[in-house]
Amino acid sequence: MKRGAFIFVLGLAAVTAWGQYVAPKTPWGDPDLQGMWPGNMGVPMQRPAAQGTRTELTDAEYAQRVQTAKQQAAADAVDVGAPAAKPGIGPPSYWTERGTPTRRTSLIVDPPDGRLPPLTKVEETLRKEARGGKGFPGEWRGEAAAPEDLNIYYRCITRGLLGSVIPVVYNNGNQILQEPGYVVFRNEMIHESRVIPLDGRPHVSESIRMYLGDSRGHWEGNTLVVETTNFTDQDAIGSNGAGYPGDPGHHSRDLKVIERFTRTGPTSLNYEATVVDPKTWTKPWTILIELKKDDHFQLLEYACHEGNYAIGDILSGARAEEAASKKN
Amino acid sequence: MRMKLMGVSALAGVLLVTLPAFAHHAFEAEFDQKKPVHLKGTVTDMEWINPHAWIHLDVTNPDGTVTNWMVECGSPNIMLRRGFTKRSLEKGTELAVEGYQAKNGTMRANGSSVTFKDGHKLFVGGSNPDIQGGEDGKK
Amino acid sequence: MVRMRISMRGLLVAVLSAAAVFGQAPAAPAPARAAAPAGYRAPRAYDGHADLSGIWFTTSSANWDLQDHSPQQGPMWELGAIGAEPAGQSVVEGGSIPYLPAAAAKKKQNWTNRRTTDPEAKCYMPGIPRANYMPYPFQIIQSPAGILFVYEYASSNRLVNMGKPMEAGSDTWMGTNNGHWEGETLVIDVTGLNGLAWLDRAGDFSSDEIHVVERFTRVDATHMNYQATIEDPKTFSKPWKINLTLYKRVEKNAQLLEFKCVEFAEELLYGQYKKK
Repeated sequence: MKRGAFIFVLGLAAVTAWGQYVAPKTPWGDPDLQGMWPGNMGVPMQRPAAQGTRTELTDAEYAQRVQTAKQQAAADAVDVGAPAAKPGIGPPSYWTERGTPTRRTSLIVDPPDGRLPPLTKVEETLRKEARGGKGFPGEWRGEAAAPEDLNIYYRCITRGLLGSVIPVVYNNGNQILQEPGYVVFRNEMIHESRVIPLDGRPHVSESIRMYLGDSRGHWEGNTLVVETTNFTDQDAIGSNGAGYPGDPGHHSRDLKVIERFTRTGPTSLNYEATVVDPKTWTKPWTILIELKKDDHFQLLEYACHEGNYAIGDILSGARAEEAASKKN
Repeated sequence: MRMKLMGVSALAGVLLVTLPAFAHHAFEAEFDQKKPVHLKGTVTDMEWINPHAWIHLDVTNPDGTVTNWMVECGSPNIMLRRGFTKRSLEKGTELAVEGYQAKNGTMRANGSSVTFKDGHKLFVGGSNPDIQGGEDGKK
Repeated sequence: MVRMRISMRGLLVAVLSAAAVFGQAPAAPAPARAAAPAGYRAPRAYDGHADLSGIWFTTSSANWDLQDHSPQQGPMWELGAIGAEPAGQSVVEGGSIPYLPAAAAKKKQNWTNRRTTDPEAKCYMPGIPRANYMPYPFQIIQSPAGILFVYEYASSNRLVNMGKPMEAGSDTWMGTNNGHWEGETLVIDVTGLNGLAWLDRAGDFSSDEIHVVERFTRVDATHMNYQATIEDPKTFSKPWKINLTLYKRVEKNAQLLEFKCVEFAEELLYGQYKKK
C-alpha cells in the first residue's frame, strides 16, 4: 500500500507505474514535442560489417570513439596556422559543431545489420548512366560546365527531407513548433519550415512534386506519425542532400518516408524514419536519430543562396582554367 | 570533399567513421592549390553571411598600391552561437591570412588560417568581446 | 479545411505544460485585454489571444509598386501582356514615400535596372515588409514558442519571439522579430534587417538601418489588416506607413506548396559563366 501511495505521488511527474515516460501535453491536449532539438553527429549512418547486429559499441570501442572525438576537437581548435602545418584548401576547421560521441553503432536500425539493403538493378543502372554517364552530381568530381553539374546543396536549393535532419558537422538546428491542428518541423539549413497538417486531409495530387514532399501527420498515442509523399527525384539522402559515396544517395519520385517522433524523456526525443522506395532499395530501411533538447541553441538564419558566391566562382574558375589550357 | 582529420593522422587503429563533407561546397572547385597566398591587411568589411562568411581586407602590395581582397571563412552561425556579433571584428583590425587564391583569378582567397598581427587565431576561444584587435587586449 | 477550435480549458494547463517542456518559467499567458475592436472579435487562440493562424495572402498590387501606378509594360516585352504590370492604388498612407534626395536618385536607378537587380528576380528572400505582400500565400502558426510566419515564396520564414525582446547578433534577410500583443493587435518590432531586400518591384529600397513596426489585426472572419511603419534615417526623411488587407484562404484543401525558385534564377545569375 505504501508503494502504491508513493507511485500516486509520482503520478504528477509523468511517469507511469511501469516507469515509461509519458510526454507532457500542449495546452490544447496534443503530446508536446516542442523545443529545440539540435542534431548530434556522434553516430555513423551504416554499421561496420564486423559489428554484426550489435546496436551498441563495446566499452573499448566507445573509449576509442571518445578519444578520437577529443583529438578531433583539439585539431579543430589549433591545427591550421601552426608553424609547421601546411594550410589546407578548406575553411578554418574550428567552424564546426561536431556534437558528442554516443555508444550507438549506426543510425540504421533496420535491417538488423545496420546497413542499407541492396539497390535495385534499375537504380544501379540509373546511378551509372545519369547525366550521360557522369552520374548524379553528388561529390564534386571536376565538372563545372553549368550549375547543374554541382549538387543541390552547393546550389543552395535544399537538403531534402532526410538530408535536413541527418546530423552534419555544423548548423544542426532542428526546431519543433506546434499549434492546434499542425506540427512544424523547422530546420536551420536551408531555412525550411515543414508544415504538417493533422486533420487527416488527403495528400495533394501526384502531379504536384516538391523537394520536401507533402507531409500528413497523425497521433498514435504519444507518437507523431508523419507520412510524406510527392517527392521529386532531384535530391539524395545523406551529406546534406548531395549523396556522397557511402551515403544512401539518390531516390526515386516514388519515395515514401514515414517518420515517428516520440518523446522518451524530459530532454530526449526519438526520431525514426522509414524509407520506402521499392524502385531504389530492395527493402525498406529505418534510421533512428536520438535528439537531445537544448533550448539555449539559437537557430539562426541560413540565407544560403543569397550569399552563394561559390557557384559563380566555381563556374568562372573552370572557364579560366579552360582558357589557360587553350593558350598552352 | 571529405574533411580530413587534421592533426590526427598519427592515430593508429582508429575506428574510421565516415564523416559527412565539412564545407558547404568543394573548396578545390573554387580555389587553386597552385596559387598559395600570404596576405597581410586591414579589415574594411565583414560579411556575416551564409553559406560562408567573407572578410574584406585592404592589402598593401610591395609596390605600395592597395588591393582589396575577400577572404572566405566558414558559416557564421557557429560563431554567433558562441557569442560573437556583427561588431566583433572591427574595421581597421590587422589580420594575416594563409590560403589559396580563387581559380578565376579574382582577389578572393579561402581563409584556411586567419590570425591577428600577434599570431593569435581569429574566432578561436569561444565568446570573446575582446576579439577586436587581439586577445591580449591590444588594439 | 477542418481546424480544431481551441476550447476554453487550456489556460492553466498551458502554464504547467509549458514549464515542463521548456524547463523555465514562461511568461504566463495574459488574457487578451481587448481594446474594444469595432464590432469584430476574432476566435481565441489556445492562450486567449486573438487567433491569427491560418493561410493568408494579399491581392493588392503592392508587390509591383507600393505607390499609385498605371498599367504599363513590364521589364520583359517578350512576355507580352503576361509580363506587364497591372494598375494599382497606393498602400502608402499619405500617398508617397518620403525619400531623401540621394535615395530618390538611387530608386530611379533601381527602376531602370530592375529586371536584373530586383532581388525577387534572383530568388532572394524578400525581407520585411515585402514578404507579407508577395503574390504567394503565407501561413501563421501561433505556437507557445512564438509566432511563426511560413512564406511559400523561396521557403522564407521568420519566428516572432513573444517573450523578452532579443537583440540581433547579425543582420539577416528576414530580420530579428520581437512581438507583443496590444489588445487584439499583434505588434512586431523588426530590427537587424540587412537592407538588401527591396520593398517592391519598382525599386523601392532601404539601407540596413531600416526599422519596421508591424501591426496585424483581424477585422472579420476572413480579413486581416496589415499596417507597417517604416523608418530609415539614411533613406527616408521621416517614418512612413503602409496599410493593406490580407485575405484568408478558405478552401478546404488550402495549404502552402513549394516555390523554391533558385533554379529559375540560375540562368540570370550564372548564365554568363556557363560553358559555351
